[in-house]
Amino acid sequence: MVLISNLINGLSLGSIYAVIALGYTMVYGIAKMLNFAHGDVIMVGSYVVFLLTTKAGLNPYLSLVVAMAACTVLGLLIERFAYRPLRGATPLAVLITAIGVSYLFQNLALLIFGSQVKSFSSIFNFPSIKLAGGQIVITDETIITIVVSIIIMIGLTLFVNKTKPGRAMLAVSEDQDAAKLMGVNVNATIALTFAIGSALAAVAGVLLCSTYPTLSPTTGAMPGIKAFVAAVLGGIGSIPGAMIGGLAIGVIEILSRTYISSQLADAIVFAVLIIVLIVKPTGILGKKYIDKV
Amino acid sequence: MAEKRLKLKKNTKNNTITYALVLAVFLLIEIMQGTGNISSLLSGLLVPLCMYSILAVSLNLTVGILGELSLGHAGFMCIGAYASSIFSVVTQNTITNVWIRFPIAILIGGLFAAVFGILIGIPILRLKGDYLAIVTLAFGEIIKNVLGSIYVGYDSHGVHMTFESASSLDMEPDGTLLINGPLGISGTPNDSNFIVGIVLLAITLIVVLNFINSRAGRAVMSLRDNRIAAESVGINVTKYKLMAFTISAFFAGIAGVLYSHNLSILAATSKNFGYNMSIMILVFVVLGGIGSIRGSMIAACVLTIIPEKLRELQDYRMLIYAIVLIVMMLLTSSPKMVKFWEAHSPKRFIEDKFRSKKSKAKGVQ
Amino acid sequence: MAVLEAENLGITFGGLKAVDNFNIKIEKGELYGLIGPNGAGKTTVFNLLTGVYRPTEGKATLNGKVITGKKTIDINKAGIARTFQNIRLFSQMSVLDNVKVGLHNKYKYGMMTGIFRLPKYFKTEAAMDEEAMELLKVFELDGEADYLASNLPYGKQRKLEIARALATQPKLLLLDEPAAGMNPNETAELMETIRFVRDKFDMTILLIEHDMKLVSGICEKLTVLNFGQVLCQGKTSDVLNNPQVITAYLGE
Repeated sequence: MVLISNLINGLSLGSIYAVIALGYTMVYGIAKMLNFAHGDVIMVGSYVVFLLTTKAGLNPYLSLVVAMAACTVLGLLIERFAYRPLRGATPLAVLITAIGVSYLFQNLALLIFGSQVKSFSSIFNFPSIKLAGGQIVITDETIITIVVSIIIMIGLTLFVNKTKPGRAMLAVSEDQDAAKLMGVNVNATIALTFAIGSALAAVAGVLLCSTYPTLSPTTGAMPGIKAFVAAVLGGIGSIPGAMIGGLAIGVIEILSRTYISSQLADAIVFAVLIIVLIVKPTGILGKKYIDKV
Repeated sequence: MAEKRLKLKKNTKNNTITYALVLAVFLLIEIMQGTGNISSLLSGLLVPLCMYSILAVSLNLTVGILGELSLGHAGFMCIGAYASSIFSVVTQNTITNVWIRFPIAILIGGLFAAVFGILIGIPILRLKGDYLAIVTLAFGEIIKNVLGSIYVGYDSHGVHMTFESASSLDMEPDGTLLINGPLGISGTPNDSNFIVGIVLLAITLIVVLNFINSRAGRAVMSLRDNRIAAESVGINVTKYKLMAFTISAFFAGIAGVLYSHNLSILAATSKNFGYNMSIMILVFVVLGGIGSIRGSMIAACVLTIIPEKLRELQDYRMLIYAIVLIVMMLLTSSPKMVKFWEAHSPKRFIEDKFRSKKSKAKGVQ
Repeated sequence: MAVLEAENLGITFGGLKAVDNFNIKIEKGELYGLIGPNGAGKTTVFNLLTGVYRPTEGKATLNGKVITGKKTIDINKAGIARTFQNIRLFSQMSVLDNVKVGLHNKYKYGMMTGIFRLPKYFKTEAAMDEEAMELLKVFELDGEADYLASNLPYGKQRKLEIARALATQPKLLLLDEPAAGMNPNETAELMETIRFVRDKFDMTILLIEHDMKLVSGICEKLTVLNFGQVLCQGKTSDVLNNPQVITAYLGE
């Protein structure tokens, strides 16, 4: 019974990772860069919801919409002013900039909100489900998280495969130059990717803070990195891969927290990453890229 | 032939300036200490300054010369610190001469870090850029988490180890506790001092600069500039990547020795050996100029002294680091700015002049 | 014995046969051209010969020794050096150092010798400098030995790439579109250089080229590739008059 509720917790955490990983995987697949700041956009989104609900007394769902809009704008700004000027620069320069952006948000938040951990009250307010005579409790957050992540995954898959901007994304991810020649606006497509990824980050932030009701400037950092691990595990660039990877990482983390050691849970998740990269660097559903000579 | 000599001279001259700078700072500090003109703030910073310089120079070998981003440099430092501290704690009653004990401790710290560099490097160095960065970050965090939660002790039955608590080590009453979980190692002798620090920095510089200007160093840089071309002229990718990465880890370990022997209690926390530390070292490298060894050293010192001198800046320290990373990259690496600098750099100006002179000379002939 | 001999060399990328049933025989000292329309698989042949791609079929031998299946660096050590269609120099290193990297496997000393500057370091470096400068002189690059490779004008970058390849002491030199992006004067000069290299170093050269003037001017033999298959091969004049070749190039 304990194992089952741990598995459920793992799936819940994993669904959150999956939503974050979707943002990572899209940006990585299309802009070919690791957006280190993605985890910090999650944190910004959570603060927006926190402030709107506690200070302004706004309806939680409405605040989520506002937070999604705010994060979208933020994502677009980051893309426009930090990453776009570096298109065509060395990967090293892009990566260092991304780390800088991530660090910038963490420390701005630290200056504005302080290092004190805020308690975040869940924005969902539904009854929990009790199974097996109350031995297994599935909270409303868990159910909503899992459902939301599945909806997002299906929505994104449809968007990418069935709509014109979505197919432009696929084209840019295959070959930027060729896409440009075929009349795809590469800059706009990459910006759209950042916009979608950042809006999803806001959703992920609220799900994360509703399940684990604390909020601090570094809230997004670790989940961000773990979600990247999830994206790599599932195969970078693959939408279903992000989902599978996220769920796997969530379950692995919760199980090692319970059965091995809570201090070493993070280390175990990272060990998974290392093993995956050594054994199958393309991840579960990733495709192989060949260096062009 | 004239050009060849010019080139050798240029390298040697550049390196001489670096060594002279270290020597000058050393003499200046010695004079200040001798005449009692040194503030307690600065004298407390002397060992950390050497340590940060060594860290920055060694990371620049990975970032600037090999061209790969390592976000786990603090992890290697952590290994060096722990390995050497354990050695010093265990032997401080048997090897009482510090001039024998400390050099061995330094070597042990460096070698342990280097061995981990090799062990980690072999599987991961074939990964490409972003993955490599994230995996080094992961390794750094694993090292910090494991060393920060392990309990190690020894008694007549040998070494005991656990992740639970000191009491669950199950040692005999006279057993010695070496690593006390999150409380770390206590009782490391305070062997670090400025002279040792500056000597280690000088050694680091000599090794790194000589390495760069050697056959192996050129091979490493060729991998950075174009891996496929390097392979096509017979450069062994894994071997040279691993070589640079290992030397880098070795000196990070040595910096760790300086660190642990400058404190009475050594504990692995996110503050000293975590991701933030790795980023701070990266900031030194980026500000000093990726690939510029002297620059790394100067940046490490400037960024360590300024926040200490200007206390009001303390709160903004990390924010400034973030801005340094972004602005430096935008200024030096964006294709637009690269073009701008190429068109306006003094070096280019001189080269253009040289070129036009040469063509004129040809015309006369 | 032929310097290079390929038998039924082929590679398939996800069902597509990029190169199929490729045969070639190049004798020592020959200047051999590999031509064909865009996308015919010429660069892929180079990548197969240099171990960048592993052929799915067939084999290739260099002076009778099998090279297929070997790694790029081992094939270079065995004696094949190449240049690239899109120039691949060590852009942040000096012109001299670019060539010295090419000399890496000819002049050796250990890492520690370099770090501790033992006498062998100075001796070997001096010898490397000397040989590298000699090579640069051949390409009239000795005046720019100190420049960053990326600061060289385009034509000189192409030459530096050839110098670097020659530094690895190859038995066979593969040139991938050496005249791409050059004006007619530069191309004419390059033809001279290629011929000179062949004579001075007694080199065997296989080159990919689009410039028909260059090809007909210096190549003794040609192989024409079309859709990954050999359309025709033989003496240059015979090949260029072959109606099939004319059709492939000009269309029906």
